[in-house]
Amino acid sequence: MSQLALHDATASYGDRAVLGPLDLTLAPGERVALVGKSGAGKSTLLSLMHTHWRQQGVALMPQELGLVPTLTVFHNVFIGRLHTHPGWYNLITLARPFRRDVEAVMPLLARLGIADKCWSPAGELSGGQRQRVAAGRALFQAGAALLADEPVSALDGPQAEVVMTALTEAYPTAVLAMHDLDLALRFCDRVIGISDGAIAIDQPSLRLSAGDLLALY
Amino acid sequence: MLRRLAFAPALALALLAAPLAQAATFVFTAIPDEDETRLQERFQKVADYLSEELDVEVRFIPVNSYAAAVTAFRNDQVQLAWFGGLSGVQARERVPGSQAIAQGVEDAAFTTYFIAHRSTGLEPADTLPEEIRGMTFTFGSMGSTSGRLMPEYYLRERFGVAPDELFSRVGYSGNHSRTASLVASGAYQLGALNYTAWENEVEAGNIDPEAVRVIWQTPTYPDYQWSIRGDVDARYGEGFTDRVRQALLDMDDPELLASFPREGFIPASNEDYAPIRETGIALGLIDE
Amino acid sequence: MRYSPTVRTTLGFIALALLCLWFADLSITTVDPWRELTRLFLGLVQPDFAAVDFVGVAILRTLAFAFTGVALGAGAGLLLALAFRYRLTRTLCAFVRAIHELFWALIFLQFFGLHPLTGVLAIAIPYAGIFAKVYAEILDETDPHPARTLPHGTGWVSGLAFTRISQAWPHLVSYTSYRLECGLRSSAVLGFVGLPTLGYYLESSFAQGRYGSVGALLILFYLLIATIRLWVRPRLLPFYLIAAPFLLGGGMPIMWDNVARFFTEDIIPAPLRRGEGASGLGPWLSDLILHQALPGLWNTLVLTQIALVLTGALAMLLFPLISRHFTGRLGGTAGHLLLVILRSTPEYLLAFILLQLWGPSMLPAVVALALHNGGIIGHLLGQRSNQITLRADAPSGLNRYAYEIVPRLYGPFLALLFYRWEIIMRETAILGILGIATLGFFVNSAIQEIRFDRAMVLILITALLNIAVDILARRLRAHLRLRHSVQAQGC
Repeated sequence: MSQLALHDATASYGDRAVLGPLDLTLAPGERVALVGKSGAGKSTLLSLMHTHWRQQGVALMPQELGLVPTLTVFHNVFIGRLHTHPGWYNLITLARPFRRDVEAVMPLLARLGIADKCWSPAGELSGGQRQRVAAGRALFQAGAALLADEPVSALDGPQAEVVMTALTEAYPTAVLAMHDLDLALRFCDRVIGISDGAIAIDQPSLRLSAGDLLALY
Repeated sequence: MLRRLAFAPALALALLAAPLAQAATFVFTAIPDEDETRLQERFQKVADYLSEELDVEVRFIPVNSYAAAVTAFRNDQVQLAWFGGLSGVQARERVPGSQAIAQGVEDAAFTTYFIAHRSTGLEPADTLPEEIRGMTFTFGSMGSTSGRLMPEYYLRERFGVAPDELFSRVGYSGNHSRTASLVASGAYQLGALNYTAWENEVEAGNIDPEAVRVIWQTPTYPDYQWSIRGDVDARYGEGFTDRVRQALLDMDDPELLASFPREGFIPASNEDYAPIRETGIALGLIDE
Repeated sequence: MRYSPTVRTTLGFIALALLCLWFADLSITTVDPWRELTRLFLGLVQPDFAAVDFVGVAILRTLAFAFTGVALGAGAGLLLALAFRYRLTRTLCAFVRAIHELFWALIFLQFFGLHPLTGVLAIAIPYAGIFAKVYAEILDETDPHPARTLPHGTGWVSGLAFTRISQAWPHLVSYTSYRLECGLRSSAVLGFVGLPTLGYYLESSFAQGRYGSVGALLILFYLLIATIRLWVRPRLLPFYLIAAPFLLGGGMPIMWDNVARFFTEDIIPAPLRRGEGASGLGPWLSDLILHQALPGLWNTLVLTQIALVLTGALAMLLFPLISRHFTGRLGGTAGHLLLVILRSTPEYLLAFILLQLWGPSMLPAVVALALHNGGIIGHLLGQRSNQITLRADAPSGLNRYAYEIVPRLYGPFLALLFYRWEIIMRETAILGILGIATLGFFVNSAIQEIRFDRAMVLILITALLNIAVDILARRLRAHLRLRHSVQAQGC
């Protein structure tokens, strides 16, 4: 995989510039935590990355999750690999999934602790369960890199641990927006702090402690 | 994929079109005039009779308007039709070579009855009375000879103005029995209809003779006839037109004839209907 | 006191309707309707099922036309909905749905004849235009986020199916099944122009005054509509859809020459066909417009305006019948029954019955349109009022109606009424076929005289009028800031 980079990237709402211009490079195998207070521009930066890098096959796990509430958990996860099948195959899957896909999805759901929900519509799940479905979709996609916005915000400690482990195992290269600084420092090897739409901190996580980051808030 | 989706309706259309490719069946229709009940059942007997006489498969198709009958004849979806005077002229104008081959015994001298509701106080007379000015009036179907064309012609001849200037309200009831029932209920004060239809209604007890009465009848004119397309000889064999005519003239089973209802059929020709054509042109119903 | 824009609009509409009353011919001319009506009533209470021959076939055809037509319309509508952002698509859809299915049937009858295709296309084409519009609205309301998460390289169809269509699916299904009910009504009514559905037998029984058969046919029709939820099951649908095209019956063979002739000859204005060129076209067109189009247009507008206001008044009176804030269980059931009968009786049929009662004027048409449409809007308002929760000490009776319920329902009420405006106008035109001199009367006359060139011009004018009213209604809704889901508004 080639290097992922942004040059002079900016974002604005109408006339108001909310982000950048900034430069950022992501090396293969590098896991970045995006931190900063609400409204600092983390989500904007993530979606900017997604726009720029989408063609290189990155997976996206947005804050609003992007689940289809009327589809089952299985189908929501299956969406991660729509691009690997022809249209007719996907349409048949909507009506009746193929066994080999179910066999591929099931272990994943089991690991995330939602195997029993496989055939429930996503709209009927709790917030934590829905977040794990979105994680499942990102895992199933097995893309080149992961862009995730608060991937475990609705999960309690042990569940968050499980999901973070699964995501980081599957994606050596990732950008994760996090508000839990401990988790950020443990699972990522580089931390980028955003403040007022600009990069305020960019350090390897080994050199940082949660206290250093509190300055951002 | 989009192309594949678009294919589905095409397939459905192909399925629809499938029953079309049939062998040369001889198809006929009859304009609906009086009793539309069991039309299919009654005319199936006529079809069976013709089939036996002509030695081809014969099929009857019901229609519910004059225009539909003319269109089917013109579209070659039927080859033979029992038309009214006007619809026959309209149909033959549009199909070169087609001809009137037979008419009912009664049709050489057909007539229209003008009827009036009791409340008008009108009495039967030799001419239409002046009092009808300003009353309400209903024709039958717009394309009917006895229910529209001839009564309109005689109204214009007698009063010199178009019906909607003569009457305060002019309607088109749709058919002869409805004309009778609308005048009987007083919805219209006057109406004009086919004399055989009137007699049938009275006989069937649908009309209270106290409430409605005939006040005038038109001079006679030629009306219903069998018309056949000009290309049938080429398709069903030499002399086919003559054989169809003969089969119609030979029809003597009262049960079959009751469907029309006629006592029997006599020969007819296009020329017999020249007066109808001229009347149609005069009233602007036929373009020259 | 200053009136709100909503009240001003309402008063304006009522004033206009009163003005129209001045011009409208609403006289009752019958003097002796009772004999005929007694027979009609006796027929309705003593339905004679034995007198209806081929009734099984008629029901089968009614269903087959409805299913095939609605299915084709829904398929085409979905494809069109996906391209609805293009002005061309929107214009095309607005145009095809502005022409009533009876007019479509009359057009197709000219070259397909009494062939199943005539009935199927007469339903499928206008329905495709309606489906396209509503489907596009439903799809637009879906959450755009799932589409963003799609992996790069996902095909267009897969993406669409898994994100937008999946999300919209319950709405698409409920709207489509509700249109199927409309399709059944349309299919039955197509019989009036000669297709072999229930309407054909209804019309001929009516024409012959065989009211026993009329009663039997009407009861069968109500049963068919009322039980639709019982026999239209998602699991059975594929079976119905596959079977329907095979149950349409035969017909006269289609000849494609006739289609070509229709477009290259029949609908060419007579002066051009006769080679008189443009100089003959002027007088031809001005004669047509002065003597047919303008009088027809005027009558259509007058009739629509009166019918619209009467519909509104009736709906406001009827909805308490099914509202839990005003009626008990028993009264509610009776109210429901009344509204079901009102809204499932085709207005065409109501007008015909009333014509017998009152004689030929605009009155039968006005009352028929108001009863039918008032029944539909009253039903929707009643349902909506049942969602309102009142405080425990809310007033009762008239005060509850005037101070608690109506103020909350008035916005949705106007929105619904404006949505039905275009539909009422389309139906007004169609009632012309019964002899009331609206545009439909002149279209039908032209067709009966086998002058399709005139019929086409008049149909085009009718379509433009419907489009204009649709635009006006949309502007008014936007002006008054009325928002209401279009997804359930009656056929």
